[in-house]
Parts: sequence; C-alpha cells; structure tokens
Amino acid sequence: MKKIITVFLLALLTAVSFWSCEKDDICAEGTVTTPSLIIEFYNRDNHTDPKNVTFFSYFSADLDTIGTINGTNHIEVPLRTDTTATTWNFRLGSSQLGEITYNTDVITFNYETKELFVSRACGFKSNFTLNLQNGTAPDPLVIEDSEDEEGLWIQEYTIEESNIENEDEVHVKIYF
Amino acid sequence: MPAFSQEQKTDTVQKPKTDKYGIRVGADLYRFARSFYDHDFQGFEIVADYRLTKKIYAAGEIGNTKITVNDDQLNFTTNGSYIKLGFDYNAYENWLDMQNMIYIGFRYGFSSYSQTLNSYKIYDDSGYFEQTVVYPNQEYSGLSAHWLEFVGGIKAELFNNLYLGFSVRLKALITDKKPDNFDNLYIPGFNRTYDGSFGAGFNYTLSYTIPLYKRAK
Repeated sequence: MKKIITVFLLALLTAVSFWSCEKDDICAEGTVTTPSLIIEFYNRDNHTDPKNVTFFSYFSADLDTIGTINGTNHIEVPLRTDTTATTWNFRLGSSQLGEITYNTDVITFNYETKELFVSRACGFKSNFTLNLQNGTAPDPLVIEDSEDEEGLWIQEYTIEESNIENEDEVHVKIYF
Repeated sequence: MPAFSQEQKTDTVQKPKTDKYGIRVGADLYRFARSFYDHDFQGFEIVADYRLTKKIYAAGEIGNTKITVNDDQLNFTTNGSYIKLGFDYNAYENWLDMQNMIYIGFRYGFSSYSQTLNSYKIYDDSGYFEQTVVYPNQEYSGLSAHWLEFVGGIKAELFNNLYLGFSVRLKALITDKKPDNFDNLYIPGFNRTYDGSFGAGFNYTLSYTIPLYKRAK
C-alpha cells in the first residue's frame, strides 16, 4: 500500500510541476486570425481571363510599399481593424519601349468590423463585412484617380464575397 | 520496628498511546502574503480538516480570489469565491505520539465568479498596420465551474497542535459555464486554465487543531 502511495505522490508531484511551469503561449502560425482582403485581377474584355499585374506595388497612407509584383493576379490587402475604412494606393506599371510608365489609383474600402475571441495566446481577431453597393453607407470600393492624373486603370470590379473571414477565397475581382 | 522490604515490581502496564481527534483550521500563507506583495492579486484561503478515523480525514478549503492577468494579447480580471470538499488519507505511520501526515486525497471543487475583459489586442499576422488595442471593459458575471482535485501533501506538527502544511494539486475541470465571445482563462480555486481541462496548484498552510477527544492508537 505504501509503495502505491509513494508512486502516486511522485506522479502527482511530477504532473503538478509540469503544469505549474507557465507555458509561454504563442499564437500558432496557421491559426485563423484577422484575414486580409483577397483581390484577383481579370481581363476587362474577358471577365473569365485572369490578368497578371505588371510592375505593381501598393501601399497605404505613409506605410511601407508592398511590391514590386509581376506575374501574378492574386494579392492580399490588409484592412485596418481600428476603423471602418482603409485607403490603398494601387500603382500599375506598363513597359513601353524599355521605359516604365506608372498609373496610380486610390481605392478606399468601406466595411464593418466584428471582433471575435480566438484564444488566450492570440487574443481577438477581426472579421470584415464589405458595405453593400447602392446602400446608404459608402460604397464597398471607392476608386479615385491619384495626383498623377493618369486616369483610372481600374475600370470595373465585382464583390465575390463580402464576408471577409479567411484568406481561402477571393473577395473582390478587379478588371483592367 | 520491623522493616519490611518489599520488592516493588515496576508496573509494566504502559500509559495507553492516544491520537488526538479534533477539528483543524488554518489559512494558506502563500495567498495571504501574495495579497500584499502582488498588487494584481487579492485573495485568501481557509483550510480545515476533521479526523474521522486513524488515517482518514474529511477536508476542505474555502477561499476568494480577485486577480488581474496581464497577458500579451489580453488583460482581464477574475473575481470570485470557491469551495473544495473531500477526504485525505494519511499514509504516514506516526511514531510515539507524533501527529504528522504524509497524505493523498481528493477534492470536489466549485467556484462562482465573474470575469472582466479590460483590454485586448486584435491579432493580425500581416503586421502591416499597428496592432489595434480595444478597451471593451466588458463584464461577464454569473460564471461557474466544477472540477476534481487530486491532492498530495504533508503536515508537520511544529509544536502543540500547530501544524505547517504543504500540498500540491492536480486539477481536472468537469464543467464550466463560459462567457460569450471569451473564455474562462482563470477560475478562482482552479487557477489558470489551459488548452485541455487540466490544471495545477498548491498551498502552504499554517493550521491549529482544536482538540475534541482522544482515541487509542
């Protein structure tokens, strides 16, 4: 009987010391947290044809520029979680006779946010819902020319999925 | 006068060895001290046990905890009370009339508490924008939890009926009422919760036995 109790006490002590060590919880990579907006580019003249961007870069306000991107039609656009609108500058370059000319359009995304608990380590995440078109609220995408006054290179867009909850699906398609 | 010499045989009947039976009450010194040096913690724990037989004691703890936890992504305050009831089994064979204990036991624990989410950060692994901090000041009340504890510990008699004790506990959550869009991250009496349903704890006690009666060993 004494042996059983000794073993039990040792096992208990081991288990407790294991659990008492405060594990440094890290939000595991791969955990679904706040998603970025997924945009894919397609041909204006044939909506089903994916169209890769060229010499493409994008930035918001005075933050870092993402790019230069070539050879893909798929980009991830982070949205602000502290407000309901984020403005991005989308700069497309086209090469003509060895020289690259740029055209920048300014897009403002308008949406609602929803804060959801993830875990102790990750805290909370935000999900977004793009505003409805032709509603009383600002349009989900408001596209304006930049100071370069080169006109808009973004002519059309469609909202594929207004509930932005993960990065597995395309949310907005832009045609140029 | 005649001198009688009597051979007096030493009485070999020994005074019967006895165990004290009574109610032992005390307090957890760790929680008491922590309330002073840790400004995020306020709490106490009262412990008690009552000897039923030579080796078995009915035992329990009752306490209150108010703690503010400042994690990386979350800051919250838990406030509530708890009670744990169970039995201890003394595995130690005391010599002479010592009353020490090396014991194992179990408890059934219950806590009623509230949690206040003071602030949190919104996690965005794109890392492009500055992390947003939100101050919801959201209180979740009417929360509760039930759990089992497996206890192992010692109690040593310092001097006359005064005992110093130390115990470690492995806890298993049975059920808990979770708040909406949050979780039970700290439960009074259970302590910090983890991903599974297990937890751990300890106490460090000073207690006094109020003697009621004695029984032969």
